[in-house]
Amino acid sequence: METDHTAGKEQIGRSMSRVDGRLKVTGGAKYAAEYELPALVYGVLVTSTIARGRIRSFDTRAAEKLPGVLAIMTYKNAPAVPGYKDTDPAEKRVAGQELRVFFDDQIQFSNQPVALAIADTLEKATYAASLVNVVYDVQKPTTDLSANLTKAYTPERPDDYNRGVADAYKQAAVRIEQEYHTPVHVHNTMEPHAATAVWEGDNAVTVYNKTQGVSLAKKDIQKLFGLSPDNVRVHSPFVGGAFGSSSRIWPPEMAALLGAKLVKRPVKVVAKREQVFNLVGYRPESIQRVALGATAAGKLTGITHHAVGLTSQYEQFTERILHPTKSMYQSPNLNATYRLVGLDLSTPCWARGPGETTGSFALESAMDELAYALNMDPLALRRANFAETDPESKKPWSSNYLRDCYEQGARAFGWEKRDPTPRSMHDGEWLVGMGMSAGIYKSDRAAASARARLGADGSLLIQTAAADVGPGTYTILTQIAAETMGIDASRVRVELGDSAFPQAPPQYGSHTAVSVGSAVHDACQELRRKLAALTDNGKRDATAGQAEQSHETILRQHNLPELVVVTESKGGAELETVARRSFAAHFVAVQVHPTLGMVRVTKIVSAIDAGKVLNPKTARSQVLGAATWSIGMALMEEGVIDDRSGRYVNNNLADYHVPVVADMPAIEVIFIDKNDSVIDPMGAKGLGEISMTGMAAAITNAIYHATGKRIRHLPATPDKLMA
Amino acid sequence: MKNFQYTEASQPAQAVQQIGAGRDTKFVAGGTNLVDLMKYGIEQPDTLIDISRLELAKIEKTATGIRIGALARNSDMAEHPLVTSQFPLLAEALLAGASPQLRNMATLGGNLMQRTRCNYFYDISQPCNKRQGPTAQAGCGALEGYNRIHAILGLESGDLNQSCIATNPSDMNVALAALDAVVNVSGPAGQRAIPIRDFHRLAGKKPQQDTTLAPNELITSIDLTTPQRAGKSHYLKVRDRASYAFALVSVAARLVVESGRIQDVRLALGGVAHKPWRLTSVEQQLIGKPATEASFREAARQLVAGAKGFEHNAFKIELAQSAIVRALQTVAA
Amino acid sequence: MADQQHPDESAEHSGASRRDFLKQSSIMAAFAITPPAAVTAVEKGLHETIATRFEQMPLRVTINGAAQQLNIEPRVTLLDLLREQLNLTGTKKGCDHGQCGACTVHVDGTRVNACLTLAMTTEGCKVTTIEGLADGDQLHPMQEAFIKHDGFQCGYCTPGQIMSAVACIREGHADSPDEIREYMSGNICRCGAYSNIVDAIMDVKQGGQKV
Repeated sequence: METDHTAGKEQIGRSMSRVDGRLKVTGGAKYAAEYELPALVYGVLVTSTIARGRIRSFDTRAAEKLPGVLAIMTYKNAPAVPGYKDTDPAEKRVAGQELRVFFDDQIQFSNQPVALAIADTLEKATYAASLVNVVYDVQKPTTDLSANLTKAYTPERPDDYNRGVADAYKQAAVRIEQEYHTPVHVHNTMEPHAATAVWEGDNAVTVYNKTQGVSLAKKDIQKLFGLSPDNVRVHSPFVGGAFGSSSRIWPPEMAALLGAKLVKRPVKVVAKREQVFNLVGYRPESIQRVALGATAAGKLTGITHHAVGLTSQYEQFTERILHPTKSMYQSPNLNATYRLVGLDLSTPCWARGPGETTGSFALESAMDELAYALNMDPLALRRANFAETDPESKKPWSSNYLRDCYEQGARAFGWEKRDPTPRSMHDGEWLVGMGMSAGIYKSDRAAASARARLGADGSLLIQTAAADVGPGTYTILTQIAAETMGIDASRVRVELGDSAFPQAPPQYGSHTAVSVGSAVHDACQELRRKLAALTDNGKRDATAGQAEQSHETILRQHNLPELVVVTESKGGAELETVARRSFAAHFVAVQVHPTLGMVRVTKIVSAIDAGKVLNPKTARSQVLGAATWSIGMALMEEGVIDDRSGRYVNNNLADYHVPVVADMPAIEVIFIDKNDSVIDPMGAKGLGEISMTGMAAAITNAIYHATGKRIRHLPATPDKLMA
Repeated sequence: MKNFQYTEASQPAQAVQQIGAGRDTKFVAGGTNLVDLMKYGIEQPDTLIDISRLELAKIEKTATGIRIGALARNSDMAEHPLVTSQFPLLAEALLAGASPQLRNMATLGGNLMQRTRCNYFYDISQPCNKRQGPTAQAGCGALEGYNRIHAILGLESGDLNQSCIATNPSDMNVALAALDAVVNVSGPAGQRAIPIRDFHRLAGKKPQQDTTLAPNELITSIDLTTPQRAGKSHYLKVRDRASYAFALVSVAARLVVESGRIQDVRLALGGVAHKPWRLTSVEQQLIGKPATEASFREAARQLVAGAKGFEHNAFKIELAQSAIVRALQTVAA
Repeated sequence: MADQQHPDESAEHSGASRRDFLKQSSIMAAFAITPPAAVTAVEKGLHETIATRFEQMPLRVTINGAAQQLNIEPRVTLLDLLREQLNLTGTKKGCDHGQCGACTVHVDGTRVNACLTLAMTTEGCKVTTIEGLADGDQLHPMQEAFIKHDGFQCGYCTPGQIMSAVACIREGHADSPDEIREYMSGNICRCGAYSNIVDAIMDVKQGGQKV
């Protein structure tokens, strides 16, 4: 078959179905716990029933006696981990001492791993784990954020920020000041965290893992076990949801690595659902005080934002909770602080739209409250405070179509039909409310590499150590490669999630498409240059020119079995001259039952400026996902801890509610779809997180409009809204 | 999970005989509750007797109403013409519970025996009188813990820390309570019929015991009596999400109104007590009253009289009343 | 691990009917019912593999059209049998407690949660998993529709969603988007592909293809 050189045109921006779709709908996609390996055995974690104290003794005899049990691993017999001694603070992504699994007798949080039962079947390992008896010296845990605010400290990596006069809101004509609470949110990916470790001797290991970044996981494992880079390989081609929770090496991976080393057989460890609440991070609870001051005409004159988050006793997890406040609105005066309280909990981690989601709930709720105080339309208030340049860095935006988001979103939603008076609109017995909010999220670009291999048959193989945890990375990289090479997408194969591939950043922070997409783009450009050099000694501009011969013809003529390039791509100095952000405006309609307090979200319109949209189909799905998460955050999600024991009370999917399909309304997604000319050659900006940022506040703002009740303490469950 | 002996029963009598023979022996049919409890280590039977193939799944007419076999699946009950035509309240309650998959597995008998969702009952590291029995003197983890889903009614005076404030989680049971179902059981001494109000119990001094069924008895069926005047019915469930969630409170209501006056009423509450909560005295007082919000509100007040709220569930006292009023208004409309 | 016996192998239990075995084991149960037989056996000095064998029972079940003759421990769930012993990993473990629907399979045509189904209770049943839905290379219309409507992102809940969606139509519960929403609520999708899933099911339903 001759390559159709025109077929590659206009691949980017096309609503292409997922290239990994067939594997996913047939059950053929393999996730971390699904590799059939010879001599594989099962590890089941025994986790602490106390949140603070020490292990006094173990009784493992009953477990060890069971048929099929290979070992009960505890800190007493676990292999040593050289990297546990490494304490170079500069190397750490989170300040502090990382949890050392199976290291000593100290218990720092509930459900901390204390033993791993290893047996030849899952059932035997599970039963053996249940027979391990641990005696603890118990200390009273401290897990209540509200009750321990006096312990708040400034993190080692502070994020306090000031411009202009502090607390300027106090002098403003109109002002509001309120406190907002967001609870712990647990990612609860559908795939529980799992890892299978296979050692070859003591110095080489292969791990089948659930990770958003195989390069990062490989580096961490390498350091922990003092291995050479060539001797660690991490596979994670499919990830059953991550949302930030697969961005570190967590206890299940460590347990698999140590267990496999101990019994000298491949060990698979899958966290139980109740264990993922403690073992793989979570979005930390926050308490935020926000004060806004404005002129009578609605011009912001002062913003004050004091945020407190929780973290573990052993690490200082910080997130960008203040970032929306710093850059969203034009205000000459702003003072903001960020404090942490260390509690007897495991360390939190990034959760979808990390920090910004939490911070924007407070900011966008406060903006709504200010609008009412001003007797002003909430949308008009936001328009009046549009920031023409980034108020924080004073740099121009790389692109900013937030005004288009406001305009197109409001029009599609029918915002003009809103009667501004709270509790004024009805549908039968149900109260009707309309609310809106705005969102802002960074659009980063990191260095990334990709290998492009053109085969003699004209097929193109792209390999990069990026991940696809669900956004559609396999698909958009296919599109970028096809368009750049000018070939049909069916001739492109993309392989991800193998640490042996060229390095790529982890898939978090909404920068995969931009960073890895650029690498694939550049690698394909380089391939084309090489092809052009073969055909006419490089005299012609290969990127612009229409090749006259098919790729396979060129290779054949030059007797080449393949043509391979590996390219690293990163942005230049131009990135530092601009402020890079994606923007969103969210519009939400709700119905609230006046006496029973039940809420149903009936409509969501989300208008997004994420630059050029590479694939409207998969991009839209990301916004649908963000809407689902936002409904969860606004209405039902809350990790509840019994402060007496430090244990989660609702550590399962029956009691920790995430939205089901019956909770979902009609959702309209609008993409402004205008190129960003600075960040990357495709014109794209980050998408995954922006669509989540601010949306929960739009829901609670709509609830206020429906009921006159302001929900400042999430989630908005029926007990808070019933009358 | 501990391994166990697995046997199958081919006849109800044989099942009863088998369960009497072994220690820690349980019947299993749908498994939706028991297997879950076994995974958490709450139940650790030595032997399971699979009764799912017994011929006890029929739904049939009787002289006075219908009989539903104990092994009828929730989904089959909810869609059976005899149920939907004569007892739509039961169908509605069944469909409000769990998920289609679970309803395809769960049986009538298992649902009658469904254990509480109390978080402290489920966490075997935490104290629970229901799980450990009163002799263990464990105390009630929920009493001063997180008790948002817990009981407000049927809490006898005395030391609650030796008792239990858990709720019965079943939707079906609330409808059956309103419908005066009779539970037919088979035991070593033969058959007996237990009125539903006597089947589930309040925790009292035996918090470990949810029902009055003896350990060696087998539920074979329930009987429902066709009402002379069906009226209208509604199962209202207030929950934290739109589907696939346990009730905060629920109301099973059936009402016959003629010329604006209440002729007959049935009212049961779920999510508020150790058993479905029903007071026939309140229903009696409604008879002859106008079918108005004022009457409903007064009945609601009486039905939750004496309710006790704890730190996280006090809202249920008001929510239950609102739900009663709303349910009655719905069926009166 | 399950021993997958072939009928011609004359292993310990092959040929013996399950009823016979049950009868046998209930006789044995009379003297060795607790603690678990294998532990007792090991304590009595029996070889571990024999003891393990003693804890297993025969199971005949048809999975995706293939008759399986297995020996399993009674505590093995259908989900773990599929995933860990038969390498049918398309059926997913999400919560292992009937709270997410990722493990949805069809047993005799009915959708159930495999995680709460003891494998022993499927004796003589026909089990269909996601691997058995397509007709060779020809995808099932629901699989096609999920791809077309982007009814998934990470893909982990997808097999359960698809098995549930097929059953939803077969049961007659897919007549409107609202009905689909209610009858698909037993399948959680954390990525939030819900509205696309509803579109996919409506598309198949309205297309009138045989499901």
